Amino acid sequence: MSPSFTDGQLASFMDGTLEDEALIDAIEAAINADPALAERAEALVAGEPIAAMVRDAFAPVLDAPVPERLTTTLAPREAEVVDLAAVRAAKSAALPKPANDTGRSSWRWPQLGAMAASLVVGVLIGGRLLNGGADAPAGDDLVLASADLTAMLDSAPSGQKTDLSALGEGEVVLTFRNADGQLCRQFLIQGTGGVTSDALACAGGSDKRWQIEAYGRRAAPVGKMKLAGGDAAPAVVAAVDAMINSDPLVGPDEIAELGKK
Amino acid sequence: MTPDETTRQALIALIPRLRRFARVLTGSIADADDVVQASLEKAMVNLEQYQPGTRLDAWVFRIAHNHWVDDRRRAHNRMGHDDIGEMLDLAGEDGREVVEASAEARMVRAAVDSLPPEQRDVVALVMLEELSYREAADMLGLPIGTVMSRLSRAKAALARRMTAQGVVQ
Repeated sequence: MSPSFTDGQLASFMDGTLEDEALIDAIEAAINADPALAERAEALVAGEPIAAMVRDAFAPVLDAPVPERLTTTLAPREAEVVDLAAVRAAKSAALPKPANDTGRSSWRWPQLGAMAASLVVGVLIGGRLLNGGADAPAGDDLVLASADLTAMLDSAPSGQKTDLSALGEGEVVLTFRNADGQLCRQFLIQGTGGVTSDALACAGGSDKRWQIEAYGRRAAPVGKMKLAGGDAAPAVVAAVDAMINSDPLVGPDEIAELGKK
Repeated sequence: MTPDETTRQALIALIPRLRRFARVLTGSIADADDVVQASLEKAMVNLEQYQPGTRLDAWVFRIAHNHWVDDRRRAHNRMGHDDIGEMLDLAGEDGREVVEASAEARMVRAAVDSLPPEQRDVVALVMLEELSYREAADMLGLPIGTVMSRLSRAKAALARRMTAQGVVQ
């Protein structure tokens, strides 16, 4: 049974004119336990000269010019925009049937997609953004600049964790060929800062350099917010789904194909 | 425009309110801008977590508040309070016209800055952002009565300070 309070007491509580500290605590506890009392108290809030003064006092902050460093934080990350429509348009062949009856493994495409789901992009682009450096590639031909990453993509089998020194730890999760016959590898990077990124790279051009086709950061904890699970970056999953045109390459096949790139 | 681009534009539009919110939380415009920058970076990195159709401002304000709470645990003594003077410096010449540092407004800001951090939280959310008590309670993870009592004590402290300074009778 919660104690009862008068409208006068509640109004004073809401207006900040109640001086009895014990009564303030009692009303707080009662309201916490009784939603109806909360509503009643809220309805008693009077005109608020103090609130108006506080709003006026801080209004200049709203009107002040925004420092450039804040808007720069939100600069479009053009390199991160993956044109999925173009990717899909370029896909000439229908997707293969789910490969769950090959006897090779019980993996099905959705599982592969989920594994593939989280990758690299943020490490590459985020580093560029945060450091303000202009040395990272951008635009359509986003070529891997990291020797460690290139080495991993050139030779590491799927599932093998690879130390990428400053970038963190990398792992290729899927290898396949696209409709153009290019070798493509989906991989993830577990950044040293705890951010996991997903990416898809295909060996393109005459020199068969690894080019980033898609990337995205995995959902990461923000403050007290919880992760929504270990899902890979949707942009990468979608790109893999759009481009994959072979069975996943694993084991000796994968190594052999890597040798041919 | 892509959905992300739409969100990005909305975030840009939110910056002034986010600065005001962070200024009340931190007590200094320099710290506030650090909090805003970190919050925007987190928001951009975690855009996938934002649920379209829900309130973007509430999402970003929560990020900012969480960041500041973590930050103030790490670095107990930050820059300390400043006022409009430092903001003028940051804003440059253009700022001098829009920022009118009246004595009364400066006094009110100083009164808000003197409040304990947990009271500044509710002042920023309920008085300035005009969130309902329930919305503020949800964002801060507090029972609603606690939000009310904190604001009650904040108002009392502000009134005392303003009365002492002759701003209100």
